[in-house]
Amino acid sequence: MSQVSIFSSSGAYSSAWRRGSITRVLEDQRWFGLLLLTPTLILLGLFTAYPFIKGIELAVTNTTVGVPGHFVGIHNFVVLWHDDIFRMAVWNTCFYTAVATTVKLALGLWLALLLNRNFRGKAMMRAAILLPFIIPTVLSTFAWKWMFDPTFSVINYVLLHLHLITIADRINWLGVPWLAMTSIIIVNVWRGVPFFAISLLAGLQTINPELQEAAAIDGARAWQRFRHITWPLLLPVTMVIMLFSVIQTFADFQIVYVLTGGGPANTTQLFATYAYQIGIGTGLLSQGAAISLAIFPILLLVVIVQLVYIRKTETA
Amino acid sequence: MSIGGIGAVLATGRAPAYAQQRTLHWVRWSDFVPASDALLKGQITKECQKALGINLQLETINANDIQARVTSAIQSGNGPDIILGLNNWPQLYTASLADMTDVAEEIGQAQGGYYPISKQVATAGTKWIGVPWAVGGGLVAYRKSWFEAIGYPEFPDTWEKLQDAGKKLKAKGTPVGQALSHSFGDPPGFWYPWLWSFGGKEVAADGKTVALNSKETLESVKAAVPFWNDACDPGGLSWDDTSNNRAFLSGTIACTNNGASIYIEAKRKPDTYQTENGTPMYKDIRHAALPKGPGGQYNLPGPFTDMVMAYSKNQAAAKEFLKWIHSKPVFEEWFTSQQGYTDGATKYWEGDKVWSADPVLAPFKKVPAQGRLTGYAGPPDRAAAEVQTKYIIIDMYAKAVQGMKPEDAVNWATGELKSIYGV
Amino acid sequence: MIEGPRWRRSVFFHVPLTVFVIFLLFPFYWMLVTSIRPDRELYKPWSSPLYQPFWTLHPTFEHIHDLLTETLFSTWMLNTMIISIAATAISLFCGLLAGYALSRLKFPFAGSIGTGIFVTYLVPQTLLFIPLSNIIRNFHIGDTPWALILTYPTFLVPFCTWLLMGYFKSIPKELEECARIDGATRWKAMLYIVFPVALPGILSAGIFAFTLSWNEFIYALVFLSSPAEKTVSVGVTSDLVRGDVFYWGQLMAGALLGSVPVAIVYSFFVEHYVSGITGSVKG
Repeated sequence: MSQVSIFSSSGAYSSAWRRGSITRVLEDQRWFGLLLLTPTLILLGLFTAYPFIKGIELAVTNTTVGVPGHFVGIHNFVVLWHDDIFRMAVWNTCFYTAVATTVKLALGLWLALLLNRNFRGKAMMRAAILLPFIIPTVLSTFAWKWMFDPTFSVINYVLLHLHLITIADRINWLGVPWLAMTSIIIVNVWRGVPFFAISLLAGLQTINPELQEAAAIDGARAWQRFRHITWPLLLPVTMVIMLFSVIQTFADFQIVYVLTGGGPANTTQLFATYAYQIGIGTGLLSQGAAISLAIFPILLLVVIVQLVYIRKTETA
Repeated sequence: MSIGGIGAVLATGRAPAYAQQRTLHWVRWSDFVPASDALLKGQITKECQKALGINLQLETINANDIQARVTSAIQSGNGPDIILGLNNWPQLYTASLADMTDVAEEIGQAQGGYYPISKQVATAGTKWIGVPWAVGGGLVAYRKSWFEAIGYPEFPDTWEKLQDAGKKLKAKGTPVGQALSHSFGDPPGFWYPWLWSFGGKEVAADGKTVALNSKETLESVKAAVPFWNDACDPGGLSWDDTSNNRAFLSGTIACTNNGASIYIEAKRKPDTYQTENGTPMYKDIRHAALPKGPGGQYNLPGPFTDMVMAYSKNQAAAKEFLKWIHSKPVFEEWFTSQQGYTDGATKYWEGDKVWSADPVLAPFKKVPAQGRLTGYAGPPDRAAAEVQTKYIIIDMYAKAVQGMKPEDAVNWATGELKSIYGV
Repeated sequence: MIEGPRWRRSVFFHVPLTVFVIFLLFPFYWMLVTSIRPDRELYKPWSSPLYQPFWTLHPTFEHIHDLLTETLFSTWMLNTMIISIAATAISLFCGLLAGYALSRLKFPFAGSIGTGIFVTYLVPQTLLFIPLSNIIRNFHIGDTPWALILTYPTFLVPFCTWLLMGYFKSIPKELEECARIDGATRWKAMLYIVFPVALPGILSAGIFAFTLSWNEFIYALVFLSSPAEKTVSVGVTSDLVRGDVFYWGQLMAGALLGSVPVAIVYSFFVEHYVSGITGSVKG
């Protein structure tokens, strides 16, 4: 209670300090709350809400670069509905997000469990594994591009020397559709596992070890202990992390931009990269905006599902 | 200047108007020949200051990023004064470019006229929307000794011969290298001429009717599959514009369609790039035109056009600058530094001494005259640019090569074209 | 907690951990070797018998030297640092106030405002950047760091708010009530009582915000044009990826130099980051 004594001794209580009108207002929860929210509301209103409205406006007109368009209703969306490439981008994005998030969760959890022990160099190890998360994505993806390069791939080199492949049927990491998708998932996982691992590690550390010991004494094996004690207690953290990861992965741009440009033949084309290609590459700003906007309902759905799930686990 | 005048200047602390610095912000791609960028940023910038009193701010960025900058500049109403556009990008931004008719006509008159392809991309109707800068040509760079060893003292001049040669070379581990991916330079440079050489085309001469769905196009797709499988490096499906350079210079492919940058780089560093016998590789490199198909022999050059932005407040300075830099003595400096990587946009530069400096590069001289642009047989307009940016033609071949039935690939591409051309 | 004989420990602990470490850190080793490898060794294909990916016998510092002298790399680092710190500061400021308000005060529309803030996180950058460039033009901040300093918080603030909200919820209400009974204003209670207790959460939100700012690409690409204003991500990719010319050495050096200093700073804060996340999700 030492903090409270600051106020007692400052004489704020004992002296007859005047409650001016401003102070009165600030004491009112309602005004205080709204006041605190003001900077955020101004910032987001100006730089997100307003452009969002403008973006919707773009999507319902036929604006091209430098040429303001006029209202065309849902025409852009109809065009997209029939666009083969767009449909592929939708499928790719959903697949990419689903697989990458699942893998990141699994690997992140495993790594967190491994790190949740006392061993020498623990602190340094935790800092080191954050590196993939820290390095600017664009730059690390270039390193991966070099590692996947059909002519210079170090991965192929290793596989060759492990006698898993021959020179003739080398692995064309970025040139074969399913391999290209695998490659971008690998890079996304590489970048995301540290975030999952460290966050889940934090969650693990709040779990009282006595619970585990008690269960062990009762004869529960490691896997059972994990399933019935660790996992349920970890669920809140997991859901929050997953929510943000899904949102980020859905809107992923940099990895595909650097590694494949959406190829081969649009098999790695994602929402964000396609929106960019259409908007910037062909100057069809309205169509690009429509593509970006089309992400929104799907993302909202995914998020709502997760939020509901989080609410359920919170109240449980 | 009168004493009162000087006093007035000193009093206000401002220089008189005529001594005020004019600044011009020019954005170009990072040249594949780095020496040219160094020249522009160094020598030419100094000369520009002296001759015109203009402070030239040259910014070079990755070609892939130019369009993003153009878009945000146009939409936000400020940005660079002059931007170098590749291919038919000027056609995408017609409404936002300043009228360059006077400048372009003057240069054209003085230098023997522009090539048709340069003029096509830089004009909208009779108005010039940019000043053609140069033309990037592509030819097949090949390893002479390797082709000789398999019985081709001259580079194969038909696709059948190239497929045969490629098969033999692939068996030796050094196939034909060609990009079939989403990259802006090399893939179109090969696959559009492939389409044309079979007689295929995107639209009819009216520029509106989609004509892709034809017997000729189908033939070209059917022929592409065995060509790719027998003779080409499968890595090409994921190559960017630099991959074929690297593959060639490291000795893993025998030939590739490219600009002169492979040869120029090999010549620049003879010790780094060597043949398997330890001799400098550049001595073994020659250039040839893309082979003939049943419908002819074509190439797709890459025109460069300087676009002066309509929002720019320095249009007068920009015009002065462009006139100056295209003047024969100044442009000559830059042109020489390119060593034949580009052709001039006007016929005058065919006679330049750079072509006699190195016979290996001489074939590049003829490229613009034999070139065609995308959107054939219509004009290289916005719709053609959209087809190119979406890689429709490229993907048509990519899909077939990866197993789709040629008829389906052609139908898919035709459908895409139809929605782009608004049919 | 892996019982049993030594071999079990190896298999279930050492082996997986080693594999993870290799997977996560090999690319950095690769970047390191590439950045000190001389040009003539860089372009050997993997099938060539001379391919030596894992080390080089002729290390050279020329790539690093060229990076620092021929490009504006140090300027870009400075820009990115300034922008990231400023954006993080703004985001923390907004996030702290908003998080406190939404989690500990009752006022009308609190729920909807909270949801609204969260929803803005969902809006993709590819939709916003064109309209934003108009706004940036209207405020005349195009091509200045301010364009990014003011736009980055749009995706930083929602997350910071959410994170801090969770953290604040786990702090008992009694703390402020005691202070207020003793006569402190709400403002003072918030500032002097609650915020210090939430320090790990603040640090963790700050680290996260800093990382995201450091990492951002699209806005930086579109809103900045002069070479001297660029951030590391944009500068390195646009200046060093020059068509057919080979600057892989410098590129990898740039990648390394652009991340290792940040990592060093992180190593001091990672323990706080870990406990910060914990606190935030307890609530």
